[in-house]
Amino acid sequence: MEDVTRKKTYVEDIERSLYDIRNEDRSLYKSAKGLTEAVVRDISQRKGDPDWMLQKRLESLKIYNELSMPSWGPDLSPLRMDDIVTYVRPDAKMTGNWKEVPAEIKDTFDRLGIPEAEKTSLAGVGAQYDSEVVYHSVQKELADQGVIYTDFETAVREYPDLVKEYFMTLIPPTAHKFAALHGAVWSGGSFVYVPEGVHVDIPLQSYFRLNAAGAGQFEHTLIICEKGSSLHFIEGCSAPKYNVTNLHAGAVELFVKEGARLRYSTIENWSRNMMNLNTKRALVDKDGVIEWVSGSFGSHVSCLYPTSVLRGENAKCEFTGVTFASKGQDLDTGASALLLAPHTSANINTRTISKAGGKATYRSAVKVAPAAKGAKCLVNCESLMLDDRSRSDTLPVMDIQAADVEVGHEAKIGRISDEAIFYLTSRGIDEKEAQAMIVRGFVEPISKALPVEYAVEMNNLINLELEGTMG
Amino acid sequence: MEKEKTLYSAIPMRTWRWLGVNGAYVPAGVVPADGNDVPAGADRQWSVAQGAVRTETVVYRTEQAGRVTIDVAPGAKLHYTQVQLLPADKGHVDSLEINVAEGAEARVTIAELGAAETVSKVTINLAGDGAVGDLAAIYLGNGSRKVDLNYVIRQAGRRTKADMQVRGALKDCSEKIFRGTLDFLRGSKGSVGREREEVVLLNEGVRNRSVPLMLSGEDDVDGHHAVSVGKMDQEKLFYITSRGLDLSEAQRLVVEASFNPVLERVEDTALRAEIEQYIEERISDGK
Amino acid sequence: MADTLLEIKGLHAGVADKEILKGLDLTVRKGEVHVILGPNGSGKSTLMNVIMGHPKYTVSGGSIAFEGGDITALPTFERARKGLFLSFQTPEEIPGITVENMLRTARQAITGKRERIFAFRKELKATMEELQMDPSYAERYLNVGFSGGEKKRNEILQLLMLKPKLALLDETDSGLDVDAVQIVSNGVRTFHNEDNACLIITHNTRILDKLKVDKVHVLLGGRIVEEGGPELVGVINREGFTHLQQKA
Repeated sequence: MEDVTRKKTYVEDIERSLYDIRNEDRSLYKSAKGLTEAVVRDISQRKGDPDWMLQKRLESLKIYNELSMPSWGPDLSPLRMDDIVTYVRPDAKMTGNWKEVPAEIKDTFDRLGIPEAEKTSLAGVGAQYDSEVVYHSVQKELADQGVIYTDFETAVREYPDLVKEYFMTLIPPTAHKFAALHGAVWSGGSFVYVPEGVHVDIPLQSYFRLNAAGAGQFEHTLIICEKGSSLHFIEGCSAPKYNVTNLHAGAVELFVKEGARLRYSTIENWSRNMMNLNTKRALVDKDGVIEWVSGSFGSHVSCLYPTSVLRGENAKCEFTGVTFASKGQDLDTGASALLLAPHTSANINTRTISKAGGKATYRSAVKVAPAAKGAKCLVNCESLMLDDRSRSDTLPVMDIQAADVEVGHEAKIGRISDEAIFYLTSRGIDEKEAQAMIVRGFVEPISKALPVEYAVEMNNLINLELEGTMG
Repeated sequence: MEKEKTLYSAIPMRTWRWLGVNGAYVPAGVVPADGNDVPAGADRQWSVAQGAVRTETVVYRTEQAGRVTIDVAPGAKLHYTQVQLLPADKGHVDSLEINVAEGAEARVTIAELGAAETVSKVTINLAGDGAVGDLAAIYLGNGSRKVDLNYVIRQAGRRTKADMQVRGALKDCSEKIFRGTLDFLRGSKGSVGREREEVVLLNEGVRNRSVPLMLSGEDDVDGHHAVSVGKMDQEKLFYITSRGLDLSEAQRLVVEASFNPVLERVEDTALRAEIEQYIEERISDGK
Repeated sequence: MADTLLEIKGLHAGVADKEILKGLDLTVRKGEVHVILGPNGSGKSTLMNVIMGHPKYTVSGGSIAFEGGDITALPTFERARKGLFLSFQTPEEIPGITVENMLRTARQAITGKRERIFAFRKELKATMEELQMDPSYAERYLNVGFSGGEKKRNEILQLLMLKPKLALLDETDSGLDVDAVQIVSNGVRTFHNEDNACLIITHNTRILDKLKVDKVHVLLGGRIVEEGGPELVGVINREGFTHLQQKA
């Protein structure tokens, strides 16, 4: 990891040459531009979808064409759906063995440090290259425990009943236009099933990236944690730079059953031309816990608000997020929680940083239903602005329909205080390092929640971002 | 009644439509959202001369749409009180806009208490350097009353100070939306903004929507907002009832205690007594 | 002189358009303890901040030299690296940065050498014990949620760990109870030796009990109006500053 970090040099805003390695486009197949029924049928056929999946795709397409673009949030006009090639199949077959991954793809992964994660024997690595999973391994002991961890196409084929029961039920195509789009053209992704009472001790990781020009990525993640089970799933994204607007409209559906616990961690570092319109939802039953850890650093535009639906008594949600918006970025992020049952609770804690003309927005909704007696919800968001060319906006909504509740919301906005800098420099720390220390301290609640190698990567990302303004 | 409604007051930054907080709608023709039409009823345009101190009070008692615009000149001070005490079956719409120049101060106290449905908007522009906007408001929802408030303090000058303090109580099946915005414009260096809302929910069946916005295009600012929503402190309630007061009397005491810091700003003692009387009646009769 | 640490000549400094220090001279040598007395608003804290290079203050005249080199225009961190240390009157709370992390980073910056985690931690723990600090405070965020006394003790901890050549103590004893003053003053005594020096602002002479004070300066209206030996502390304690007002 250290070598990779050191090789990064600063150019313009931030040199992404290492993340933005673009391989020659050697894809076998690209679907026709634009989204028509023929395109969707074509995708479905090439994937060997069962009929119910084809019907789901067509139903989604219909809804997609009926829904209008969002009337709120960031400017989505750079998106020209007609130009987006929705499906790209890389020149590699499914493989469970690292040796079989084509050298070129492997080289890209090597430079992103993915095999290191594997070498340090971190559970399974499911890496998505373009729209297809090319590398996937699950440790034997997980399989022995009955844990299923596979790419989504395999899941559709091998576990049709499970997939059919849950797929797009939490994020129905009617949720919004991009959910409908996802339903129509989804491709790739991860499927995890943790049986009752099974505790997965090591985090499962997935790393995926986009490669072909104008290609959208519509991966679907479906995780089911049965009663009393527990899992930590880590999703990391890094996409290469390209000059055509790229769209990411993935969907993450998490089902946390009674007494189960799921932690879902993401560090997103999309390249700066990505439109990241991702939808993530969790449905939590009685005594279940969903923990979100979310870091948003990349993309041109992001709309990301993981939503927790707490439908069982005493269900809990913890959300910890950090967003760093720099030059040319409009990152609209936050979290939502629906407290539907008695004694449910939600704790939302976010940090946003904006610099060099970047725009960071915290947007959230907390809804407490009439049935949610004894519900508790605490929201805390802090924003740090590193210069006067940037923007930071906070837009939380609380809709409280029960009286026996405790709801608190707090938000702060400001810059690094001169006094704090003076204090640290008076101890011999130079100004640049003092600034970096304070920013790292500001996001500490998030790095603390991450496994150490991800915390280190996040700190490296922050240091790289800071080199831009504070040199 | 649903037909022919027009957008009267809009949130400074839109969010998800399903939350229903992006705008407040009123019957067509009442008052345009942004126009110069003079509505029926009270419409006042005042100014406070440079260095002067002016105290004004507007009390809405009958059905009308009221609009007040005040310019506070450099170094001047405005004490403005606005009280809405309409009968429980009437509708009410009002608008208040105050422009505060360099070194001037606007101290605004609002009590939103009556009517079946209230749509109210307040904008305070802290245009000049060192301008101060101090807004304190109370609202009360009972019966099936609907309260819609949209308060914005825009901080444009350097070293401006904004304080927005809102206290409310909801009872029966009343509903309320409060949008409170602190908007730090680029260039508002050294400005400080504070906003807090405290809501007491007196029984199940009420609906409270709180939307505290904080917008900033300037780094050299210090902004903070906080909202707390919850039922009445049960210990407090027990203590009071153990002294022989019934539930509605106890509720009235707790609500008054919460409102007092704002009510104390109402200098006209007769008006203050009237407000207190009004609150007492509305809490006890449940209608 | 070879053993001169700090030499201030004709110093004028202030904030924006307000001059606070109006021509001040001060020399501190190795092994010495200096005390600055003066009523509130006389410029004591300003002096400390200006010596440390607080960007809020502008030096409009005169010079500050440290070990013979002019530091008047030097950035704060470089002054610290030369061996200056300020114990803050109101230490900043900085969330997210632990005491240990800050201290290790600072010491590496000052010495230019890499600190080994375990050796450093051991030394830190021993020093904290000396100051009767709970070792868990090493893992806490810098001054966040610390009581007034804990913040001051944390300043002395940093003093002992960073081992500067000149310690500027700005009311390090204020707001402390008798026991805490004792601990802080023991800490300062542990720090002080023939090779370093202390410049102390205090309202409470108890902190001086265990130190051999070499010189006392009385600051009034931005100037030093009276200088003397340790006996001057007693005089001021009895008579206050009023009799010196006309000199200001």
